[in-house]
Amino acid sequence: MEKSKKFSIFGVIFFILLIVVVLFNQNQNQNQSQSQSQNQGELSPYKKYDASFFDVFDTITYVIGYSTSKEEFEGQVALLKEKLEYYHRLYDIYNDYEGISNIKTINDNAGIAPVAVSKDIVDLLLYSKKMYEETKGQMNVAMGSVLKIWHDYRDAGTNNPANASLPPMEDLQEASVYCDIEQIVINEEELTVFLQDENMSIDVGSIGKGYAVQRVGEFAKEIGMESLLLSVGGNVYAVGSKIDGSDWRVGIQNPDSKSDEAYVRKVDVSDVSVVTSGDYQRYYVVDGEHYCHIIDSDTLMPADYFASVSIICKDSGRADALSTSVFNMPFEEGLAFVNGLEDVEAMWILNDGTVEYSEGFELYVAD
Amino acid sequence: MEQKTKKNDILLIGVILVLALAAYVGVSIFQDATTHNAEALVLIDGEEYGRFPLDTDVVERIELPDGSYNVLVIEEGKADVTEASCPDGICVNHRAVSRQKQSITCLPNKLVVEIRNGEESDVDAITN
Repeated sequence: MEKSKKFSIFGVIFFILLIVVVLFNQNQNQNQSQSQSQNQGELSPYKKYDASFFDVFDTITYVIGYSTSKEEFEGQVALLKEKLEYYHRLYDIYNDYEGISNIKTINDNAGIAPVAVSKDIVDLLLYSKKMYEETKGQMNVAMGSVLKIWHDYRDAGTNNPANASLPPMEDLQEASVYCDIEQIVINEEELTVFLQDENMSIDVGSIGKGYAVQRVGEFAKEIGMESLLLSVGGNVYAVGSKIDGSDWRVGIQNPDSKSDEAYVRKVDVSDVSVVTSGDYQRYYVVDGEHYCHIIDSDTLMPADYFASVSIICKDSGRADALSTSVFNMPFEEGLAFVNGLEDVEAMWILNDGTVEYSEGFELYVAD
Repeated sequence: MEQKTKKNDILLIGVILVLALAAYVGVSIFQDATTHNAEALVLIDGEEYGRFPLDTDVVERIELPDGSYNVLVIEEGKADVTEASCPDGICVNHRAVSRQKQSITCLPNKLVVEIRNGEESDVDAITN
C-alpha cells in the first residue's frame, strides 16, 4: 500500500512536470513570435508598430518604430507625416501652394526677382551647392531646364507608348546652356533666392527627398523616437538601432522584377541611410529601349552603366545625391570616387546582374 | 494488490504521456494555423479595400471610382498584380509576393497589396 502511494505521488509529480514542459514549450514559441514583432525583452513597455502612407514625394512612405501603445505610435507618425508634407510642399517644382513660396515660386521668378523663402529652402540649396562641389558637378540642381524636357517626353511617352520619342539632342544642348549653378544667387541673410537667367530652373529631384528624410529623422529623435526606420520611396534612414540594440535589416531590391529573389543583398545598419538609384522603377520605352529618369549631366542622356547603385552613409541627403551621381559615373570612376570619400560605401548592380562593392561595403552585408 | 497498483500507475503515466503529447501536438497545429493564415491586404490610398487569404485562389478586379483598375490574382499561395490601367506598369512587372510585409505598390492608383500574417520576412525595409 505504501509503495503504491509512492507510485501515485510519482505519477502526480510526473504529470506536473509534463504540464510544465508543455507550457514552457508553448511559452517559448510565444516568446519567439513576440520577439519577432517586438524585438525586445518581456518587460519593456515598447511594442513594434508600422505605418504607411502616400501623399509625400509622390511615393509610399513606411515608418517602423516602437511605442507604448498604438495610439501613441499613430500620434507620432502623424507628426512625421506633417513634417514630410511640409518639406514636400517646399521642395515641389510642379505645384503651387497657397501661402508658401516653394522651389516652383523661385523658378517662376527666374530672371525677374529674388524670392523670399523659408530657411529650409535656403539650407537645401546651400547643401545642394556643397554636393555639387563634392560630386564635381555631377549632382547639379540647376539642371532643371534639361530635366524638364526629359520629364515632358517621358510623361508623354508613358501615357502614349505608341508615340513615345526621345527629345532632340539640339533641344537638350540648348537647354544645357542654362544649367550654371553659380547663377543661383542665395542671400543667406535676407533668405532670398534668385535665378539670374530667365531660362534657368531648379530641380531638386536628386536631393530634396533625401534631405527631407534626414531632417524628419532628426525631428523624430527630438520627439523621442530614437529607434525608427523611415523609408520614403526606398530612401531609407535607420534612426538608431532596433530597440534591442540590433541592426535594422534593409533589403536591396533585385532590379530583375521577375526573379524569385526579392533582394540582391541585405545590409544590417544602424544610424545610417541607405539610398538606391535604379533604372528599373521610373523609365519609359522608346523603340524597345528603356530610358530611365536619371540624366547624366555630361551626356544629357539617361545613364546606362548599371541597373542600380546603392549608397550607405550617415546623411540621407548626401546618400540621395551620391547615389544619383555614382549612377552617372562609369564603374571604375565611381569606385575610385566612393573609395576616396570618408564614411561612404556603395554597391553596384551591373546590367548583367553582377554585384560590385566599394572597399568597406562588405561590413554591412548580412549573410 | 501491489502489482495492480503499480500497473495502474504505469497506466496513469501512459495516459498522461498521451495527453501531454496530444496537447503539444494541438498547440503546434494551432500555432501553425495562425502563422499560416497569410493574407493579402489591399489598401487604396491608405484605406483598406479588402483582405484575400493566400490559400484561396481568386482573381479580383479592383476598380477605382475614376475607372482605373488593378487585377489581383491569388495563386499558389502568392499574390500578384497581373493587369492594371496605370501607364507605368510597375505593379504588373513586380514579382508575386507571399512573405510578411512584402508588397506590390501601384503609385498612380495609390494601391498597395501587402502580405499580412505571412512567413516572417527577414528584412525591415527595402531600398529601391
